[in-house]
Amino acid sequence: MYAQMIKSESSNDDPQALAEFQARIDRGERIEPKEWMPEGYRKTLIRQIGQHAHSEIVGQLPEGNWITRAPTLERKQILLAKVQDEAGHGLYLYSACETLGVTRDELFEKLHSGAMKYSSIFNYPTLTWADMGAIGWLVDGAAIMNQVPLQRTSYGPYARAMVRICKEESFHQRQGYSIMMKMAQGTPAQKEMAQDALNRFWYPSLMMFGPSDAESVHSTQNMAWKIKINTNDELRQRFVNETVPQAEYLGLTVPDEHLRWNDDKQGYDFSEPDWDEFFEVLKGNGPCNEERLGARRKAWDDGQWFREGLSAYADKQAARRTAAE
Amino acid sequence: MVTASTDQIWEWLAEVPDPEIPVVSVTELGIIRDVRWDDDTLRVAVTPTYSGCPATAVIDMMVEDKLREKGIEKLALERRLSPPWTTDWITDSARDKLRAYGIAPPVNGTASDGRMSRAARLAGSNLTIECPRCGSTHTDKVSQFGSTPCKAAYVCRDCLEPFDYFKCH
Amino acid sequence: MALDGRDPVQIDDALRPALFDWLCRLGDNALILGHRTSEWCGHGPALEEDIALANTALDLIGHCQMWLGLAAEVEGQGRTADQLAYLRDAMAFRNVKLVELPNGDIGQTIMREFLFDAFHFELLTALSTSPNTRVAEIAAKALKEVAYQLDRASDLVVRLGDGTEESHARMQAALDHLWPYTGEMFTADAVDTAMTEAGIAPDLSDLHTRWTATVKDILDEATLTLPERRFDVHTGGKQGRHTEHLGYLLAEMQFLQRAYPGAEW
Repeated sequence: MYAQMIKSESSNDDPQALAEFQARIDRGERIEPKEWMPEGYRKTLIRQIGQHAHSEIVGQLPEGNWITRAPTLERKQILLAKVQDEAGHGLYLYSACETLGVTRDELFEKLHSGAMKYSSIFNYPTLTWADMGAIGWLVDGAAIMNQVPLQRTSYGPYARAMVRICKEESFHQRQGYSIMMKMAQGTPAQKEMAQDALNRFWYPSLMMFGPSDAESVHSTQNMAWKIKINTNDELRQRFVNETVPQAEYLGLTVPDEHLRWNDDKQGYDFSEPDWDEFFEVLKGNGPCNEERLGARRKAWDDGQWFREGLSAYADKQAARRTAAE
Repeated sequence: MVTASTDQIWEWLAEVPDPEIPVVSVTELGIIRDVRWDDDTLRVAVTPTYSGCPATAVIDMMVEDKLREKGIEKLALERRLSPPWTTDWITDSARDKLRAYGIAPPVNGTASDGRMSRAARLAGSNLTIECPRCGSTHTDKVSQFGSTPCKAAYVCRDCLEPFDYFKCH
Repeated sequence: MALDGRDPVQIDDALRPALFDWLCRLGDNALILGHRTSEWCGHGPALEEDIALANTALDLIGHCQMWLGLAAEVEGQGRTADQLAYLRDAMAFRNVKLVELPNGDIGQTIMREFLFDAFHFELLTALSTSPNTRVAEIAAKALKEVAYQLDRASDLVVRLGDGTEESHARMQAALDHLWPYTGEMFTADAVDTAMTEAGIAPDLSDLHTRWTATVKDILDEATLTLPERRFDVHTGGKQGRHTEHLGYLLAEMQFLQRAYPGAEW
């Protein structure tokens, strides 16, 4: 779940056009890049897809942290492939965003200045190898939970991106779970690492869905536009229902003393995460905010000469071609 | 004990999807190289697509699961490196499925040979890749590599669709 | 998985230690360069580079696994590719010093990749027709990816060399820094000679001729100047005499295997 708390933008469009647009969405039609869309729809999508893209890019860092220390050659390959996958999905989503009339550089600028956010989860540190399992299992699991319904989102390029992204991510999620399995069945030290990783990542994973938005006007508008398909609480409940039995299968304990099956709702009752902590993380006070954003800014600044070099060469080449003609 | 014909085995293997691009099967991708009986043991030779592709181990597991499910008891999977896998082995049916899934299929005969010529660079020549969505050839490469080793990222300048191109390998 | 149920490597027992050593050179070069390349993950100068660098590292780790797997088989002591990668100390590593140097800036990383790829490409091309079929099939497989890497690295060297004043200066500085490490790739010792005489590997001086042609061609197009300094100042990696940098690299890479002996991951 890479897009959190997306505010909708209001539109000053012609009411008749708006109504026709809404009717198209209600009929289940896809909106394509060159078609008319309300300004609010366009801006909200940029915010959501952009935040999703930023999350993929920043999300390389917590896992990248363990690539050089992966314990076997095969694990190293799996992790490398996963990080490549994230960067590739980031690229794909930025391209989808560009169809809405914004450039990738503009989006980067907004990420680096703090004007745009990325998912709160990536502001938590990866302290042991088991965290690679926890991220694959819980974080990707939560992301997929959110992205699967988005395959039906109203904006064509976004929906089609989600189809392919979901397939690739579920492949990586299985591999994350297999790391957890190895650890949970391993030596006492490995099992302790696995439990510790679950303890640290459980509540931040629940936070990925964002606070309850049942009453939110933004949510209502976004759901009408089919930019958002389910409420945050629905997705969180689904995630808990699916994840708890997996934890049991691993022989690990979910760190929630109030967790219990509720027959009436056919789902688990569980404790809410600490939403004060969530808002602090969004404000920049999470354990790794400065490091994550700092790393991305540094990469961008250090790479300036590189990007300038490439574009200078491209200009020279264009001039040479013109001269040759 | 099941002793199916090798034709039957091939049909069963055609039900095993690629783990990352599940619209195509492992047989359509050309990564199952051989199926044969060696007394009562079934031997299946699998070739990796890319040397570092982590899907390889998963594919082995899926092939094994499928054949066990069909009742094969004695099974030996073999890794075959030679001849190295090439996208030329991808079947025509798979190419159509890739296109429908939003991935432009590989253009045969355009694999890197390590000798990208100066002339090619000077001409800034780019492979013409058809947009899998609108069929336009007015497309640009965004990145030589995509989310997986087998793909490059492209964008269509007509319908604006970002899409993946399955690189020739 | 069984390697196609084929016979173990057919090799004269007297040649086995040298072949093992030589295969470790191939595997270790890929492993160590792959490790250095992977350090860029998430820190590249452009998103396209983040992706390409991860992919390149992935290819190299894949090659390493094949070469070290064969090395372990040739050694016949029951070790695995993972044990060779994770449980040898620096003096048992056989990579050239060029690949273990710290990355430096992205220009230096790309220049190193180019200088190594141009060698790697020629080596694998020759090995893909080696009469030793086990060696030949790995080389042919790896060659396809290395061809791609060489294309990409050459292209970037040209574009950055002939880019802005700053990118030109940085690429020239990278070349000057790395140049004295390149000679080791072509400096034959007893192991190389034994492999060449056994007909398994090509003569390194032939590779050098072809490498020089590629390098001159690309550097010329990149408007960069070939250093006048000797190119074989820093050697010894192939014999296990490394720079100070390798020990730190291994400490990081091998940490989990060393801290939790015998655990499965």
